[in-house]
Amino acid sequence: MSLWKQSTEVMRVDLVVEQRIGDTFRIVLPFAVVALMIFSLATPASVSDVGDVGTAVFWGIAILYGMQVALRTSMSETEQRKDIAILLGLDPAARFLGRSMAAALLLTGFMAVLFVAMVILFSPDLPGGWAWPTGLAILLAAVGLAMLATLAGEVASGLRNRSALASLLIAPLAIPLVIGASQVLESMAGDDGILIWILLLITTDLALLVAGVGLSRPLEEASR
Amino acid sequence: MRRVQIMLLIAALALTGGGYLALTAPLDDLQGEFTAMLYIHVPTLWLAFLAFGITALGSIMYLIGKKPRWDRAAEASAEIGVLFAVVGVFTGMVWGQAVWGQAWDWGDARLATTAVMIFVYIGYLALRRAIPDPDVRARRSAILGTIAVIQVPLVYFSVNLFRTLHQTQSIRPDGSTMDPAMVVALVVNVVAFTILFAALFMGRTYVARLEAARATETAPAGESVSPPRLKEIEDV
Repeated sequence: MSLWKQSTEVMRVDLVVEQRIGDTFRIVLPFAVVALMIFSLATPASVSDVGDVGTAVFWGIAILYGMQVALRTSMSETEQRKDIAILLGLDPAARFLGRSMAAALLLTGFMAVLFVAMVILFSPDLPGGWAWPTGLAILLAAVGLAMLATLAGEVASGLRNRSALASLLIAPLAIPLVIGASQVLESMAGDDGILIWILLLITTDLALLVAGVGLSRPLEEASR
Repeated sequence: MRRVQIMLLIAALALTGGGYLALTAPLDDLQGEFTAMLYIHVPTLWLAFLAFGITALGSIMYLIGKKPRWDRAAEASAEIGVLFAVVGVFTGMVWGQAVWGQAWDWGDARLATTAVMIFVYIGYLALRRAIPDPDVRARRSAILGTIAVIQVPLVYFSVNLFRTLHQTQSIRPDGSTMDPAMVVALVVNVVAFTILFAALFMGRTYVARLEAARATETAPAGESVSPPRLKEIEDV
């Protein structure tokens, strides 16, 4: 079975599990929307227009709650399931790719819905033609965060304090993604080019892809 | 241990020389005596970058060869890198308060990314503390050490990517914007701090070797029961 076929199979299994449990859209997403509402309520009256901070709040919450979505599979994986994957001869790179693709798909949907919620709650002043660049930024940030969370989830798997530790590992490493994604809308509002920020996102994603695929075998050994 | 002591002595001499040059070098017209912060701030942050680079190198070499010495090098370098980065940020804050009128500005990309870089390596050290088994610890932290270095170029180039409060590089491939005497003082201080880094690195790896030896001695029964030493058996 080819690497791609194995990867899509891993992705399919992860998505089927998610469809049955429904953590992302039934629990984490409403929780993230509540966090958006808390921010809008807690914004001091001295801030003249709450819409000015809307996109910044969106990216902060998208990354922090997105980590929960992306880490969900890694955190709940049992030793037995890992053993079965190894006995079946599943390529570790395919496992990394499949898991990341599933998380990226969920994160893209999660962030897209959260962005719509932010627009409704904060009514930000979006620049003209924002839809495609924002969609692309969300997609690239979701892909990067998914790969980062897959790597961190494996590194912290089996440890007593794995949830807190994995979050500590991901949050600072996700900064290039946050900067790149948040600056896309910022640059459009200021009539500056967005290419450099898209390139930053693509470079970070490629670096994580190379690291994830290249380190997948040692990662499999290390997580046991 | 003797070599570490000699290195520390050389570092102390070099830092004294560097300090003298820093205090006698020409002052910047606008910054006055606070120019002297340059000779601590820049070397410490440069060495933090170097330290995190060595952590990445040690991590990659461990993944390739599984030699424990590379893991010890990565750990020692990360610890010293965090120390130098914290000193660099602190001196930067003092300098910023004096020159910009504020110690910290979240809108400044260099400050924000440097703070985040420190947290990346605090996470690396936290991961190491969380895993008791030395082999598992070495393997997992090697993976993180390899990925974490992605932050270093972002911090370095943040002043070029964003036009914010922090100035861009003063020494560039096309020349320097600094007085030659200031460049000499800066280079001497970079060398002095590098010697200090080498001494601390040697000392920390020495301690790590002792820790590894001790862990091997007590591993079978944990900390409460130690296996009998050869000398104790002979005494009986």
